[in-house]
Amino acid sequence: MAELELKPVGTRILTDKDNIVDMIEKYTKEDIGPDDVVSVAESVVAITQGRVARPEDFKVCFLAKILCRFVPQKGSLSSVYGMQSLMDAEGKWRVLFAMIIGMLAKIVGKNGVFYELAGSHAALVDDVTGTMPPFDKCLVYGPHNANGVAEEIKRRLGCYGAAVADVNDLKRALVVGVSAGLDPKKLAHILIDNPFGNASQRTPIVIIKNYAAVERRTKNLLAAE
Amino acid sequence: MEFLVTIILLAIIVAVAVWLFIARQGDAEFEFLVGQRTPFMLVEENEKTATFSCKVPFINKGSQDGTIMDAYPRHLLPYEQFDGVEVNSRMELATAPRTDNYFEAVIIPIGTGGTVIVTVTFTAKAGNIKDALQNLYELSVDMPIDIVYQIVARTPWYIHKARMIMTCDEIVAAMQVHDTAEWEG
Repeated sequence: MAELELKPVGTRILTDKDNIVDMIEKYTKEDIGPDDVVSVAESVVAITQGRVARPEDFKVCFLAKILCRFVPQKGSLSSVYGMQSLMDAEGKWRVLFAMIIGMLAKIVGKNGVFYELAGSHAALVDDVTGTMPPFDKCLVYGPHNANGVAEEIKRRLGCYGAAVADVNDLKRALVVGVSAGLDPKKLAHILIDNPFGNASQRTPIVIIKNYAAVERRTKNLLAAE
Repeated sequence: MEFLVTIILLAIIVAVAVWLFIARQGDAEFEFLVGQRTPFMLVEENEKTATFSCKVPFINKGSQDGTIMDAYPRHLLPYEQFDGVEVNSRMELATAPRTDNYFEAVIIPIGTGGTVIVTVTFTAKAGNIKDALQNLYELSVDMPIDIVYQIVARTPWYIHKARMIMTCDEIVAAMQVHDTAEWEG
């Protein structure tokens, strides 16, 4: 009986000279079956899309210098460049508005409002040190059109589905893009133990083997009950 | 008019409160403790080259976490001063050794620090390295090495330098210690 299995796949370091779908095909073609789901690390998708910037390249505004001070220092937005990258991506007045409302919400005990209002980039930007060399000295944005990337992977490889995921060792998993028919929350739960590992640039692909078979079996069991 | 004055007063109060918050929060502040470095030791030698290394501690003595984005040693031995050797230097974190002279960006939490290993290789331009370094000693040539480090924290990135001096006495002493250890061994 087929069981769910997570299979990390190593690659060379991928850069903006690579096409992520071509690379996934190159490194996984032999291992993928029609019941499998291919997941890929969002930071690596972003890197192959060239969504990377050096702190030296940013023109930092006064507002970014102020607002970054109000983000706890473990967060990527706590640095002036993380905050500036968010402002560049989402607009500085939107970020200011989100910060003010987020602070007010915190006073009444509601956390996470800033991240809800500040745009999708707020939760996805990786500050310097967030990725391994040679991108450790860069900020990495979230990927562009993650759903489209997932659809293209599924179409090219003929697998059951594909996902673009942001997972770390702090038991935080966020699926930022999926092919049609997949449940992002369910996939996030499967990937919660970070099978990509610490250095996700080295194993940026995880094949979720037998995903569809297990899903079919679960449905049949539920129907029988 | 009263409304306008109230708005201006509120804006001033908010600005002062934010300024006080930022001033109290502070930032990361790094120092490479070159005065506490270990003496250079000879770690490798052959006829043409001699390689020395030492350890230099550093700390983040500020009030915020900070990131060392990049760091490298810059040795200064112009040929006008001494033309007998070629010099190469590299630096690595003691906790993450590597030999490619690439410094992987690292977050240093408040009140903590670490150690870097500075490695210097002399290659004799002519003859053997022992004679070349003996000549360096006779000419009393000391070599400054700047540890150059790029920091990013709450404020925009900046580059600082910390200078240490690799003295000719130290080089000769390290060679002698090595020779004695080899002879006794």
